[in-house]
Formats: sequence, structure tokens, C-alpha cells
Amino acid sequence: MNKQFDRYASLLFFLIGSGFMWESKKISESAYGSVVGPNIFPFALGLILVILSLRLFYETFQYKNEENENATLDYKRFFIILIAALLYALLLEDIGYVISTFIFLIIGFQTMEKGGWLKTLLISGLFSFGVYYLFVVVLKGSMPGFPAWLGW
Amino acid sequence: MDTLDYLFQGFATALTWYNLLFAFFGVLIGTAVGVLPGIGPMSGVALLIPVTASMTGGLGAEDAATSSIILLAGVYYGAMYGGSTTSILLNTPGESSSVVTTLDGYQMAKKGRAGSALSIAAIGSFFAGLVSLVALVLLAEPLSEVAIKFGPAEYFSLMILGLAAVSGLAGKSMTKALMMTVMGLLLATVGIDNVSGVARFTYNQPVLYQGFEFLTIAVGLFALGEVFKTILEQEGNEGEIIKVNSILPSKEELKASVGPIARGSFLGFFIGVLPGAGATLASFFTYILEKKISKHPEKFGTGAIEGVAAPESANNAASGGAMIPLLTLGIPGSGTTAILMGAFIMYNIQPGPLLFNDHPQVAWGLIASMFVGNLMLLVLNMPLVKVFAKIIETPKKYLIPIIVAISIFGVYAVQVNTFDLVLLIVAGIIGYFLARNDFPLAPLVLGLVLGPMIENNMRRALTTSNGDYSIFIDKPISAVFLIAAGLWIIVPLILKLKGKKVITNEEA
Repeated sequence: MNKQFDRYASLLFFLIGSGFMWESKKISESAYGSVVGPNIFPFALGLILVILSLRLFYETFQYKNEENENATLDYKRFFIILIAALLYALLLEDIGYVISTFIFLIIGFQTMEKGGWLKTLLISGLFSFGVYYLFVVVLKGSMPGFPAWLGW
Repeated sequence: MDTLDYLFQGFATALTWYNLLFAFFGVLIGTAVGVLPGIGPMSGVALLIPVTASMTGGLGAEDAATSSIILLAGVYYGAMYGGSTTSILLNTPGESSSVVTTLDGYQMAKKGRAGSALSIAAIGSFFAGLVSLVALVLLAEPLSEVAIKFGPAEYFSLMILGLAAVSGLAGKSMTKALMMTVMGLLLATVGIDNVSGVARFTYNQPVLYQGFEFLTIAVGLFALGEVFKTILEQEGNEGEIIKVNSILPSKEELKASVGPIARGSFLGFFIGVLPGAGATLASFFTYILEKKISKHPEKFGTGAIEGVAAPESANNAASGGAMIPLLTLGIPGSGTTAILMGAFIMYNIQPGPLLFNDHPQVAWGLIASMFVGNLMLLVLNMPLVKVFAKIIETPKKYLIPIIVAISIFGVYAVQVNTFDLVLLIVAGIIGYFLARNDFPLAPLVLGLVLGPMIENNMRRALTTSNGDYSIFIDKPISAVFLIAAGLWIIVPLILKLKGKKVITNEEA
């Protein structure tokens, strides 16, 4: 168990819990025909979360800090793929599914392991066109396939 | 009509060509999911919900639901078969419920008996699947008839019991598990309140009015969380895969396995029915039981066939048993069944006592398809086990980016907005860090699925009692549920205080 993480987590959950309690006060108290309004449930849950996070904070003093086994994390590859995934998500509607998926997969494959370009291009191409063809052409799903300015 | 008629109708549904196809793909993908380390049954089912939703788009509402659920359930129990393959051949469990199988399975493989171990595991799983299905058929009607008499107070307490059971047994720290449960319940309150119609915690953001979509959160936490873990911790395929020779077990091996398979199936089934205790616990307990009653306990750990037969039967029986509370009471007892329940709700079908009256086609079609699916799995696994063993060699290089791409495709296909895609990635990051620090994720998803129902029932109960909270204790059934829920939390705490080691359930 990581003491440091647990302390920050308990602080964060404390804030989330109290946030929910505070904000639930703004919800109107009573609903038509019901004694118990929409505010009670989130308020009570927020309170329980606050109590539990205090308990977790107390627990962090009880146990010894154990180092996580794999201390070296591969942040470089992680951030490349994370940013690529975020761009993929944000650009999907603008540049269409086929192109964005194709580019994301190429970046993804090459980040995981360099080389094998022919296979990379082939798999990315097959996946992006294949999914688009199956979903949009065969199953008539709604998905922007290509950028609108191409006029397809 | 009595149960048998319904069952025959179920078979009629399950044996239509497209449902056979759905069941086949379900168990095939399930086996692959079980074989591949890194994708467990939970992320497999979560990933496939949107895919099946788009595949069944052309069918009518009830047919679409039946077919999708058949496929998704196939993934769930198929994964139980597949998990044993890597345990035996690679000494790496494909999912957590096959951890015990490594103890004797890998030793058997090292001695050149990999084929027998694999086929006994498949036969045991098949028998266990049948046992749990027969029990499901027998128990489904009577249980839903009892449950149908429950009022909102009883339902509220029953769901609290479900949450308490899962939190009490999940992960290393109960505090963390409870926090995750409450967090899930809190996330479920965001959006329009469906009793009063008041918007809660939405801050005038249109995307928040629907609330946080369960599917997005589940795919993010489980599938993307696992992906990020694999990338960050550079997990590779190590170790050598043992070659499979003959796949037929010898007569002595078959004879030695009969008892363990039967005991594993029954014990596994009952453990599976209990909420919170899933396939992992079931396989663990049966292994211990077999070791205790064996005449040669020293043989365990050196390649005893009993040590493969019992746990592999148990985890399959448990996954069948776990369907009972889901179908008859509408209460999922584990992470994977919570995700299955989410799929039911997506199709506007409420699992629970009314399921068998309102949607007999879905309920009985599913049960019948599980018979068919188990048969398919046996056929698939005996001759094709060598092919499945090859799946382990799928390079991470291609697997990881494709899982990300499927997640994004799936969520977009169902939600059609960018907000959910960003939420998906954020959930993935949070999921990774929470899981890494022993915050269990299954209770969060369970809370998210059950949240709206718990709140609804609580408020309906309180409306009938004019706001008097004692209604939950005055009703005897409800009181029993609440006491059981309390015990589920308190007993492990007392055991821990006494210094006893409590077996907890890994997510499955």
C-alpha cells in the first residue's frame, strides 16, 4: 500500500464528499407528494464518504509504507499514447472516423514497438476501413466517416 | 404454462440461426478474453456491450436484447474456460479465478500431461455449467415468486445487502472498498432525478442531464485502465508455452476427476449465488476442500489432476450461480454481473422478479442459450485447445492500441458525443491509479448501476411511511436483510481484529 497516495486520496474524497453535501443543500428540499426530497440521498452519501475518508486518513498512520514493486514506470510511451488517444477523441467528429482511427493506430503500434511498417499500415488500414464499412455501410450506424469538407 | 414449457420456448429462441451465431461468437470471444492476460471478463463484457448494441440494431427491441445478452453472457462463462489454458500452459492465470489452477495445472504440463489437464478442465467446466443451469431453471421461478412480494423497503434493504457483500469481500482494505461503493452511488445521483425531475449537480451543462453513462465509466475503468497498466508497467509475455501433446485424458485421470468435478460444481454454485463471493473465492475454497479430503494431500502442488478438476469446475459453476441473483432478484453480486445488468438496463429490460413474467423470451432464451453455449465450448475447447494456446502469442504491440480503438469506437457508437470519449479516457486514468493502490473498482460500478434503484426504493418506502425511517426495521424481511448486510461488514472486521487472515475476492 502506498501511504502517500492514500493520504492524498483521502483528502480528495473528503473534498468530494463535502462538496456533494454542500451542493445538495441547493437542491429543492421537497418534491410533490413526497416527504423525502431529492437532496437527502446525496447528502447522506456525501456524509458517509467524508467519514470513510477520515477513517482512511487515520488508517494511513497504521501501516508501513511499502514500495511498489515496479518502480520504473514507462511514462514516455504512456503519455504519447494518452495524448494520441485524447486527440483521437477530440478530432473524431472533425476529421472523421476512418482517418483519425488510421492515424491513431499507426502512432499506437509504432509507440509500442518501432518497425514493421508494412504490417502497421496494413492492420491500421484494415481496422479503420473494416469497422467503418461494417458499422456505417452494412449496419447503417451513425458515425462521421470522412471529413465533411471532402463532400463524401 | 409451467417451467418446462417456458424452457422449450427458450430453446426455440436460442436455436434460431442468428442466436446460435451470437452464442458462438460470445463463447469464442469469451475464450479469447480468458486466454489473453490483461483482459478479464469484466473488461471483455464492457467492451462488447456497444459492439453488440450496434450489431443488433436491425432487430426488434426484445429480439435485440435477447441476442445481445446471449452474446455477453457467452463472453462471461467462456472466459472461465479460457482462463485455465494460460494457467496450465504458461503458469500465468488469464483471469483471477484461475489462479489456483496454476498450482497443479502447470506442474502437470511440465510433466507432459498438459493435454489431460486442459481436457479435464474443459470437461469439468462443462459439467459445472450444466449443474448450475439445472439449478437456475429449478430456482428461477420460486425465487422470483418470493421476490415479487417484496415492497420498496425490502428491495432497498436487499440492495444494501448486495452492496455490503461486495464491499466486505473486495480487495485488501474494506474502507477503500466502501469508499468506492459510496463514490459509485454518488456519481449515480448526477443528472435529472427520476422521482422529482429536479436536475442535480448538472450546473446547466446539457451533457450532464443524462448523468454519467454507466457504459462509458465501465469501459474506461476496466478496459482502458488495464491498457494503461500494461503500457506503464511494461508487462510482457514471459516464459515459454508448453507444447500440448495428446488431448485425451487417461482412464485413471478421468476416474480421479469425477469426485472433484461433482464437489467443485455444487460448492462453486452455492458460493456463486452468494453476493460478493465470486468465481475466485469458489475456486479457492474447492481447492482447499479437495486437499483436505484427499488421501494423498502431499500430491497437491506437484501435478494432481484433482487440483485442476475441482477449481475449474467451481469457477464455472460460480459464474452460473451468479446469474441467479441477477435474473431473479435484479441484484448483481459481482463486477461482471453488474456490467451485465447495465446491459439489460440499456435495453430497457429490468432484471428481477418481473423479468420472467414481462420478458420470458429474454430470460428463458438466455438460460437455454447457456446450455447451447456450454456445449459449444466443450466442442471448441477439446480439439481446438492448441489453436487457443496460440492466442497468447498475440503481440501486445497490436493488441493494446486496438483495445483503445475498440473502446473509443464502442462508446461513440452508443453515445454519439465527444464528451463521453473524454470521460472514457479520464475514467481509464483514474481506474489505473485507483486499482494500482488497492481501491477496488467493482464496487464503484455496482454502486453506479444500483444507485438510482436504491434511491428510488428508499424514497418510495419513505413516502409510504410518511418519512419514518423505522419502516426498514419494522418490516421483518427488510430487517433480516439489513442485519445480514451489517454482519457481512462486521464479521470480517472482527476476524481481522483477532489476527485471522480473511480471504478476499479479487475482482472477477
